[in-house]
This record gives sequence, C-alpha cells and structure tokens, in this order.
Amino acid sequence: MNLLEVKNLKVHFPVKHGLFSRVKAHVKAVDDVSFTIQPGETLGLVGESGCGKTTLGRAIVKLVEPTAGSIYFEGEDIAQLSGAELRARRRKFQMIFQDPYGSLNPRMTVGQIIGEAIDIHQLAESSSARQKRIMELLKAVGLDPIHAQRYPHEFSGGQRQRIGIARALAVEPKLIVCDEPVSALDVSVQAQIINLLQDLQQQRGLAYLFIAHDLAVVEHISRRVMVMYLGKVVELAEAKAIIRTPKHPYTQALISAVPEVDPDSKRKRIVLPGDVPSPINPPSGCPFHPRCPIAQAPICQVDVPSLREVTPGHWAACHFAK
Amino acid sequence: MPLLEIKNLKLDFIAGDKSLRAVDDVSITINAGETVCLVGESGCGKSVTALSIARLVPTPPARYVGGEILLNGRDVLKMSKTDLRGIRGGVVSYIFQDPSASLNPVFRIGNQIKESLKLHRPEKATDEEVIRLLKLVGIPAPESRIKDYPHQMSGGMQQRVMIAMALASEPKLLVADEPTTALDVTIQAQILDLLLDLKKRMGMSILLITHNLGIVGDMADRVAVMYAGQVVEMSPALDLLRRPLHPYTKALMNSVPKLSSNLQRLSAIPGNVPTLGNFPSGCRFYPRCPSAQPECANTMPQLVEVEPNRWVRCLYAKSL
Repeated sequence: MNLLEVKNLKVHFPVKHGLFSRVKAHVKAVDDVSFTIQPGETLGLVGESGCGKTTLGRAIVKLVEPTAGSIYFEGEDIAQLSGAELRARRRKFQMIFQDPYGSLNPRMTVGQIIGEAIDIHQLAESSSARQKRIMELLKAVGLDPIHAQRYPHEFSGGQRQRIGIARALAVEPKLIVCDEPVSALDVSVQAQIINLLQDLQQQRGLAYLFIAHDLAVVEHISRRVMVMYLGKVVELAEAKAIIRTPKHPYTQALISAVPEVDPDSKRKRIVLPGDVPSPINPPSGCPFHPRCPIAQAPICQVDVPSLREVTPGHWAACHFAK
Repeated sequence: MPLLEIKNLKLDFIAGDKSLRAVDDVSITINAGETVCLVGESGCGKSVTALSIARLVPTPPARYVGGEILLNGRDVLKMSKTDLRGIRGGVVSYIFQDPSASLNPVFRIGNQIKESLKLHRPEKATDEEVIRLLKLVGIPAPESRIKDYPHQMSGGMQQRVMIAMALASEPKLLVADEPTTALDVTIQAQILDLLLDLKKRMGMSILLITHNLGIVGDMADRVAVMYAGQVVEMSPALDLLRRPLHPYTKALMNSVPKLSSNLQRLSAIPGNVPTLGNFPSGCRFYPRCPSAQPECANTMPQLVEVEPNRWVRCLYAKSL
C-alpha cells in the first residue's frame, strides 16, 4: 500500500487588492499535482524558486490548507482534517526545515525542544523514560547527550540541523518532509547531514519527500525524482532515468545548467532565455512554452500537456516527449 | 606587471581587547584579462580579502596588520581618500550576492546607473549610454526598463542591472562576490555566460568568489582555495579540478555529490568549519584532515610551490 497518495492537489492563494481587499486573482502555487510515496522511499522534488515545491511540502504536512484535492496518508484522507484529529495523525509525518537558525526556539534548551514533541504525543510514561529517549535521539543524530542542556545558539549550522532532525524523529514518524535541509549549510557539512539522513532511513524505514534545488544532491539521495515548474509536475521518473535521459525540455535545460566539477565533461549547456513567469498569470497552454527551445505553434500555446507515461515508469508533461 | 598583486595581506578584527586574525598571509595575483576564482566556505576570509582590494572593509573594527595590495603597481593600503574614491567603482567594480539589497529601492535603475557614470565618466552620463549598458548586459527593451524601480525586476534582471552599473566605469577588475548564489540554476547559467562574454569583449579581469566548485571549471583560469583565513592551495583551474593536491581541496571535492555518479555514500568531512578566533594552532585543517600526522598539530605549513604554478600549504604535500 502507498504510504502517501496525493490526488489532484491544488493550493491557490488569493491576491487581494483595493479598498475592500477584493480577491483580484489567485496564485496557483500548486496546481493539480498527483503522486505517491511508498514506505521507506525517498522521493526527490526539484524546481526553481517560485515553482511551488515548498508549498507542496507544507500542504502535505498540513501547514497550509489545500484548496482542493486529497492527501491519503496510509489510506486515510487527511486533507480535510483539523484540530485534535489532525494532531493525532501528525505523529506519523514530520518536517525538517531549511533554516536551522530560524526553526529552533532560542529560549529552549535542546532537551526541551525534543522533549516537547514527546510530551505532546505522550510518548514517555515517566520523566526518566522521557530523559532516556532524548539521550537516545541525540545519539542517533550524532550529538552528545550532554548537549541536551545547551541552547541552540551554542551550536553550528550543521549541529542545529541535527537537532531539527532529532526533534522530527522524536515522535517516530513514517514520513519526513525535508525542505531544503542542506542548502543553508557549508559544503563540507552538507555531506554529513545527507549521510545521516540516509543512515536513519535504513535503520528506521523512514520515507522522505526531499525538496531541494540542487539536482546532484537530489539524484544522490532519491529513488524517484519529481520536477515542478509553475505549480505543475512536468516530469516524474526514477532518479537515474531523469538525470541521464530527461524527457521534458525544462528538465533537460535544468540538468545542463548545473555547473560541473569535472572539467573534462562534454555536457552542452542549454541556456534558457527569460525568467520563470509569474504564477498569478501563467502562460496559456504549456506553462513552459515561452522559454521552451522546441515549442511549436499553435499546439504548445493552446493545449495544456497532461502528465503521461512516456516510457514505463517515466512520466512527462510535454506534447513532444518520447 | 600583474594588474593586482596582493602580497602577504594580514587583517585583524578587533573585538573588545582581543584581536582576531581573519586574513592571514594571503597572497594572490591577477593578470590582465584573467579570471581567478576564490573558493572557500563561510568564514574563511574570502569576502574580506576581496573587499580589501578597494579597502572597503570598515576600519575599525578591522585593522590592516601587514602586507601590500598593489593595484597597477600602487599600494591601495597607502592611498588617500581621494585616490580611493577614484578606484572604488572605477578601476575595481563589485557585484554582490544579493542584488535586491545592493540596489537602492527608491531610485529608478536608470538613475542609479547614471550615478556611476557621473562619478567615473561624466561626459557619458546620458540616457543613451545607460541604454547601451543595459543592452550590453542583455536586458530586453532597455528604453522602457530605465524607468523601472528595482522591485519591478526579477532577481536575475536585478543582477544584470548591478553588472551594468559595475561596467559603467569600464573597470579593469570586476570583483564578483557569490554573484549567482541567490539565483536559480537556469538564471545562474545566464549570468555566468554573460560574465564570460563581457570579459572577452571588454578585456577585463574577474575575481570570482564562490563556494561552488562546479562554477570554477566553467569560469576560472586559476583558483585559490581558502580555509580559515589562509590560502591553502593555488593552481591553474583545470589542474586543480583534475588533481587537487591539498587534503582540504580533495575532501571538499569528494564531499559534493556529482550528477550521474553511482556513489552510494558521500565522504563527509568530519567536524565543523572553525570560527574566527578558534583557529587551531599548527595546520588549521589538521583536526579534520584524513591524512594528518602528529607534526601537523604544531607546525604551521607554508604555501610552497610543489609543482610548477601549483602552490600548496601542507607539510606533506609532496608525499600525498
């Protein structure tokens, strides 16, 4: 059974304007997105800023309200749940954030931060059991148990990200949404956190939705990868397939734009003209057509391409993908 | 004569009664028409070194303790305020990481570019020249764009405006401090292409500061790698990427995942980047170094030329 199944999810934000704050338009941050995550799997999610990847991650853990669509977690639709019912389910899905400085309360010790999660879900019978759990969690993420007495400002960025991971693990979730967990870290520390996430996945059978803009990192950690552009999924496939044989022209350009360390690589760079258009007023037809090197009139300007299975397990939303 | 020659630069930051060495004995040369990349992680002193070229680091809290910065043969550290005004944005221009913070939000971009022209090429301070510059950096419909305010442009476009402003004085050296870090990869590719193209057309030198080793291969002629306030390796770019010599450079290259590699596990560098004031004695990388020897804890290695044009700061550079 799927751990998570997202069906036709939409998140639209109203744009208000004028004297009585009338709704003038909608930002279609996530527009009709469907996908699944299996238990223990990592699904990578890439895209440029403003493509809706963070909003999608937040909608899944219900930090923003979906406008339409359903989110089945272990077969149960959580899209409409709220209050105590939602809180009970939240134990199964947690989130880690990009900014390890902004996501920890500076006035709580590390022990209190992790303990709070244990308390909310009443996962420890006694205070000694609670203390033991905090120590175990700190060890699991590579910190020392004595760190429980310290405050977040006493730690480096990488260590703070470890605290964030320990807090997410405290409630024994099955899915963790990781929103750019390494992009704020120094290059030499990134690899530590990526390795830690992979180790924890193996030990605990966790599933990740791994959101990042760095394609190499996403390819490394994910089994499957999903590419978003202007609120829509444009390609979804096995990580290796999507990097080696991308089907969508946007994915092709995105991969070619990654600067390469290997000076002898012969990859040709496709430089896309222009910027990502505004999601308030996205282009007609295929949202990528104004920047697409292979767009053809009139089909690309008129027909919205649907996400179709081009080859087994490889989905792309392009009229010309084959 | 090289365009820029930084010799044994030493810079301290004064904090209370302590003085913390942020840049320690850094020597870098840049020849005319050359692109040099300065690579390092946060806090390694790369930005402070770059800002020093036009003496833009505020003193205090900073203090220049030693060394020389020879720009066209003249020492910037000994220049008067009037001379400095001439080189800032004149001979040396800067672009920074966050264009939205570098542009003044209440002035139209055309006026901001014209301001730079008025200072350095007053005879050319016209709308026509501003439009020519905007065209040069690839802004579509520049005639209508000169009336825009910064917030009306995207991040990539704002960075193009910053570049136009930097080019207004026809600088000899463009210092680009992480110019694409805040931008998306597709926009990053556009800006890097633009910089390469402008360098060719205008014959200027570029000092590009980055933490992304991938950019080095595309852009640089030579690379200097910094760690904890020191240059630890300096080499022609392709040699460094093909065969890094310093253990830190090696570790850094191995810790970043590469596209289409079949690596199961990344080789992480243990520990954290040392912060200012907490640099280890001896070799500054030894607590994290996979090939450290007891000797490394006590003896600070010097930057030596171990092969022609390849400088490394490691006691065991030859045996590694």
